Amino acid sequence: MDLLSQSVGVSHFMVVGAIMFVSGVVCMATKRNALGVLMGIELVLNGANVNFVALSSEFLTKDTGGGIGLDGQLIALFVIVLAAAEAAVALAIVLNFYNNHATIDVDRADELKG
Amino acid sequence: MNWHSFFFLLFAAISCGFAVMVVLSSNIVRMAFYLIVSLGATAGLFFLAGADFVAAMQLMIYVGGTLVLLVFGVMLTAQSPFVSMKTSGGDWILAFLLSGSLLAFLIPAAFSVSDWREGATPAVGSVDAPPPRNTADRLGLGLLGVRVDKLEDRPAMLRAGMAGYLLPFEIVSVHLLVVLVGAAYLARTKRRAG
Amino acid sequence: MEDLHTVLPFLLGLAWLLPLASFTLIVLFGPRMGAHGVAASYLATGAIGSGFLLSVVALLAWGLSSPDRNAAMSQPAALEGHGEHADASGLDQQGLDHHGGGHHAVTPPRAYSGEWYTLGRFGKLKITIGYYIDALTIGMFAMVTLIATCIHFYAIGYMHDELHDVTDHEVTLSDGQHLRRPGRFHRFFQYMSLFCFSMLGLVIAGNIAMVFVFWELVGICSYFLIGFYIERKSASNAANKAFIVNRVGDFGMIIGLMALFASLGTFAFGDGVDDKGKPTAGIFSQVRAPANHYALQAPASMVRAAAAARVRAIVADHFQEDAEELDEAHLAAPAKPARKRPDFDKIQAASESEIAAEIADWREQGYGYWLLVIAGVGIFCGCVGKSAQFPLHVWLPDAMEGPTPVSALVHSATMVAAGVYLVGRFYPVFAPEVLLVIAYTGAITLLLAATIALTATDIKRVLAYSTVSQLGYMMLALGVGGWAAGMFHLITHAFFKSLLFLCSGSVIHACHTNEMPKMGGLLKKMPITGYTMLVGCLAIMGAGVPFLIGLSGYYSKDSIIAQAISFQQRNPAHGTVFFYAAAGGAAMTAFYMFRLWYMTFLGPPRDHHIHEHAHESPTIMYAPLIVLAVFAAVIGWPVFGVTDLLEQARPAGETGQGVLLASLAYPNEHDSHAPNIHMQATLYAFSTALGGFLLATVFYGVRWLNPNDVRQQFGAVYRFLLNKWYFDELYDAVFVRPARGLAKVIASFDRLGIDRLIDNLARWTRGLAGIDDLIDRYLVDGAVNLTAGWTYSLGRSLRSVQTGKLRQYVMLIVIGTVALTILINFASAK
Repeated sequence: MDLLSQSVGVSHFMVVGAIMFVSGVVCMATKRNALGVLMGIELVLNGANVNFVALSSEFLTKDTGGGIGLDGQLIALFVIVLAAAEAAVALAIVLNFYNNHATIDVDRADELKG
Repeated sequence: MNWHSFFFLLFAAISCGFAVMVVLSSNIVRMAFYLIVSLGATAGLFFLAGADFVAAMQLMIYVGGTLVLLVFGVMLTAQSPFVSMKTSGGDWILAFLLSGSLLAFLIPAAFSVSDWREGATPAVGSVDAPPPRNTADRLGLGLLGVRVDKLEDRPAMLRAGMAGYLLPFEIVSVHLLVVLVGAAYLARTKRRAG
Repeated sequence: MEDLHTVLPFLLGLAWLLPLASFTLIVLFGPRMGAHGVAASYLATGAIGSGFLLSVVALLAWGLSSPDRNAAMSQPAALEGHGEHADASGLDQQGLDHHGGGHHAVTPPRAYSGEWYTLGRFGKLKITIGYYIDALTIGMFAMVTLIATCIHFYAIGYMHDELHDVTDHEVTLSDGQHLRRPGRFHRFFQYMSLFCFSMLGLVIAGNIAMVFVFWELVGICSYFLIGFYIERKSASNAANKAFIVNRVGDFGMIIGLMALFASLGTFAFGDGVDDKGKPTAGIFSQVRAPANHYALQAPASMVRAAAAARVRAIVADHFQEDAEELDEAHLAAPAKPARKRPDFDKIQAASESEIAAEIADWREQGYGYWLLVIAGVGIFCGCVGKSAQFPLHVWLPDAMEGPTPVSALVHSATMVAAGVYLVGRFYPVFAPEVLLVIAYTGAITLLLAATIALTATDIKRVLAYSTVSQLGYMMLALGVGGWAAGMFHLITHAFFKSLLFLCSGSVIHACHTNEMPKMGGLLKKMPITGYTMLVGCLAIMGAGVPFLIGLSGYYSKDSIIAQAISFQQRNPAHGTVFFYAAAGGAAMTAFYMFRLWYMTFLGPPRDHHIHEHAHESPTIMYAPLIVLAVFAAVIGWPVFGVTDLLEQARPAGETGQGVLLASLAYPNEHDSHAPNIHMQATLYAFSTALGGFLLATVFYGVRWLNPNDVRQQFGAVYRFLLNKWYFDELYDAVFVRPARGLAKVIASFDRLGIDRLIDNLARWTRGLAGIDDLIDRYLVDGAVNLTAGWTYSLGRSLRSVQTGKLRQYVMLIVIGTVALTILINFASAK
């Protein structure tokens, strides 16, 4: 198969990242469950991470000295950490919301309307 | 047969497929599970890209921490019977339109740079391939402020002893502290009046 | 006393200003001075009394320093004998007096003039406060201050009613009650002090502008004093009448002032020095130049002013000549003429020299004389108003509404004498024609007032008309050339008229009525008043033993009639009128004065109630009566030298010959001292006075004849005289009614025309404002409200974007991001 013998470059990783990103966006935009939205966020961040890691990989990039090298991985690490922190806070908010409204339907969270 | 490509396809298919299933599923528990699988496959992708430390962290922190937290959240906010919160069709169409356009834009963009179409070394995964480098040491030193990965090519702009990630490291630690305190506060037990 | 010129102004100036200080203090502190302000009277009396003492000192200073006086003292018979004067009575045609001696006025009178303070300079016009002190000034000062002091003492007693609340029985309020008001004691003395200040200022004034200022000041003081009982309608009307009638006279006076100033360029009487030290000529020196033997002559400036057309013609001629020269110069050398512009200096110099040469000719032709006459008549108009001469005599009888001390001081002795004083002061400026006018005015007034006094029943009215008549006498005297006679009569009249008024005040105070028909038989009850009044009546009549001795009126009336006879000899036509007027007036004076005295003091009391309550006045009131009676009796005696004093102030120069009325020739006053004239005068005066006295005695003294019969027989005449010749009605019809009618017309124009216009304007403005309001409310406010409405609805509609739905927000973010990315991509791709 051509697919299997083709060498994998950054582009392929970026496609994966794009698909994950887009699915995360769709998930954020469509899910009514608050936790579903959170999952969408995770997917988005992951998609971005994939991009970062792909661009920093020496196996994937033709290491001509202009790449981002370890920066990409470090950035991915930071993103992971921040995603975790943000998920924790978001969950706390959602739990508060749940405690007050007995539901996690984000469509019910429209009290801040104009 | 390029094992690299094979495993890449495998992990890519799993992560993309399960990510799409997260979107399409309406059961929150199943969504959580699909997400775990998807992120796990992503970790595999990371391994394939040579970022072993990041992949390990992904598995440990992301999957084993954040998503477990999400699952806890699912459990805590479980409603019986599970109220099915379905999105309306109109929203789906709009979402797909958007996603379609974004994809249609991103994917060609991904393939537009010629340097990115091929991998750096042919037949990764063969015996001739150089052994994967240990990135953990270099990451750790980078976090401490010493960039040993760019010792060969020091950019002229940077000072001797390249800029590390010490500062972001500290910032993130403080950030985590804040988050810890904040989350603990937000989720505290409130005394109910009466 | 070589420095009289500093001492006299100081003494008289201080005497003048003391009443002003008294006035100021009473104005500021009056009600607080003593109990109910009684100390105000002491202050005022003290001030004027001090003024009298200062005047006496000044008089002594003058007298001791005067060389003429010493000469006169050594010839006591000079006035009585006149022997040497009578010999050389052949006057030459120009009327120049060749008699030697200091009495004859070829030398100007000794006078000290100067300026105390310059109020302002406006170009050529210089307004100053100055003095002109000669013997007449000092005499007037002494007379005014003495009489004023006596009257102040009298007034302290007379006005004691004002020390507490007063119930005025002549004022009825709307509810039928009599007015009850607080007393105004201090106010009276405040006005009296102001009046004394004004009168003395008028006497001492050194320039005609200052005279005018004080003229008006005495007028306003008279207004205040006549209207003292201001709540009485009669009093306030009388005050208005006095002031307005005076103002009519002042109109003529201003014209005279303007004529004088425009032509003579100065207001000052006497000579002075200007700022650069050059001597300037005063009015007297300009009209009677020393170089011209002090004969009256229109001065060059007056002639020039009158001949303005000729002056212009001369100047135009010179201009023309110069223009022709200029043209010739141009023709001769067109490129570079000798001069291009008219030579103004040369023209002026040539014009001036030609004018100066022509002045004498113009004067001969009569230019400037009319201006002189008009100036004189104008000044005299003011005197007509102030001294209540015909036709402006109507205010003086009504002025009796004021309290009696006011009548005594202001309307008998001083203010009304101011007019006569001014005529005397201004004598050098009056042309013979003007003097004739003065004489006729005086004669008419004399007769007019005397006839009215014959029938008047109010005691003060009789005295008022008597005053008017005597002022006419003085004017007549001055008008026929008797300067010293007129001034002498002024001084004697002041004494006996104020005495008569104060006595009448005493009677009124006792009887509480002014009407003589209610009095009678008061002599036993009020002996001092009665006998002092008798002295006054005898004095005004001119009683005395002929050729020997007499009361003061005897001497002064004598000299007037003597001068009238002397005048008649020179001017038979006019002189006859004047003589008979003087004689008739003397007879009538005697008659009505004794009618007054008999009706008041003798005979059976006509009202028992009044007779019961009549009593003599308190000491403070009858003491001045006695003092004044003494003076009224003796002031005319030669030993006191009043005539000598007046002689020292006689104006320089002769009155001379008339120019417009060429037949008019004025004799020198000293000619009236000729024995034949003097004898005639004495006889006539005595006989007429005796006739009047006897007639009065027959009717009112012993009552052999009944005045009622006369009244009925001459009913029309009686009514005519009782109604004061219907002068008030005449003036009312001729002046007051038309003025009222005009006022009505103008008021209706104002009401219908102007007020309507204003009201309509107001209405339109309101309408306009209403329109503005509509615009404001609907347009402006509407626009603002509309904007607010739009903003609100915009906000409302924008608000709908905030649905609160999280997913929508996310969707929008995504849409935005996607769009942005695509745009940037495409933008950068190009």
